[in-house]
Amino acid sequence: MHQLFSAFGIQLNLLIAQAVNFGLVMLALWYFLYKPVMSTLDERQKKIAKAVQDADEAAQKLAQADDTAAARVRAAETEADGIVASARETASSERARIVSDAEARAEQVAKDAEARAKEEGERMRRESEKEIARLAILAAEKVLSKHHA
Amino acid sequence: MSGGISVVLAAEHLGSVFGFPITNALVMTWLLMVLLIGFAFFFGRRVKMVPGKLQAGVEWAFEGALAYMAETLESEELARKFFPLVATIFLFVALINELEFFPGVGSVGFFHAGRFLPLFRAPTTDLNFTLALALISFFVIEVTGISMLGFFRHMSRYVNLRSPMGFVVGLLETLSNLGRIITFSFRLFGNIFAGEVMVLVAGYFLPFFLPAPLMGFEMFIGLVQAAVFAILTLFFIKLAIADPAEAH
Repeated sequence: MHQLFSAFGIQLNLLIAQAVNFGLVMLALWYFLYKPVMSTLDERQKKIAKAVQDADEAAQKLAQADDTAAARVRAAETEADGIVASARETASSERARIVSDAEARAEQVAKDAEARAKEEGERMRRESEKEIARLAILAAEKVLSKHHA
Repeated sequence: MSGGISVVLAAEHLGSVFGFPITNALVMTWLLMVLLIGFAFFFGRRVKMVPGKLQAGVEWAFEGALAYMAETLESEELARKFFPLVATIFLFVALINELEFFPGVGSVGFFHAGRFLPLFRAPTTDLNFTLALALISFFVIEVTGISMLGFFRHMSRYVNLRSPMGFVVGLLETLSNLGRIITFSFRLFGNIFAGEVMVLVAGYFLPFFLPAPLMGFEMFIGLVQAAVFAILTLFFIKLAIADPAEAH
């Protein structure tokens, strides 16, 4: 065993020295290289994950906003339709009312005119009857006076 | 150094400081530590939210490795816990293996007592380094098993007295787990050392032409070995955290 060790130059202090050397390299690489690179990788991953999440949220919000806008437009359209329909209804009922009012009034006017014409006719007939009677009396008086004269 | 190939299994001693032996493999380990930590220091300070090309590449590798580990360990948390160990094994061993044929490594040195001593030697061709790595890996695997399953449940995979068959299986498990220290260290050492020797020998057969493509191939092997060491550590961690009662 001793021969083997001396042939390969194995010495305990050299062995320990090389183990310490490796340990030092590992510590130094860990501190100077692995740690900063790993933390950068982690940080970047976090950033990317956050960016992706933000983008998702933004897209969702946008979609939500679109939905809201569409819903609002739909509601406005429905309301406008309602307004137009009720306006049309009001207008048509108003027209009907105006027409019927006008008709009623025209009828009334016609009735009034007819009544007035009838009354006039009656009055004129009565007046002419009165005139005839007066003329008859006058004629009779004339005749009588001739007879007496 | 006239003629002949000198192949030295052990890393050459360059001297000693306060009785502590300094080998050329140790010197190169320190040099590569400075390189790697220096890169990590300057890179880590410039990490930005919006990455440049280099950072994007590093992040791609990190994310890929982490995803693979999470898939293997079936837990994102465990993957993050063991990432520093597995990634450091890969990065450090890969860097060593890639710079193994860098001009100057093995060629820059000095003569001492009539013998050429290279100043740098790839640490993966020194068993001290690979064994240290194997031991670290072994202890991490065992400690993970104990901390995840509890001492007795983890040990029940090695010492099983419920049946003779179970006892034998436990014995085999013990042997194979202890054997990992040897396979881990010698696989890496053997591959990289053999590659160096092969390039050296090829230089004698067909100088200038053969070594260059072989070096390229060995650099590829170096990457593969770094990945093998890291991935095996990962797999053994996965095996250690699996319930022994369910595993059999």
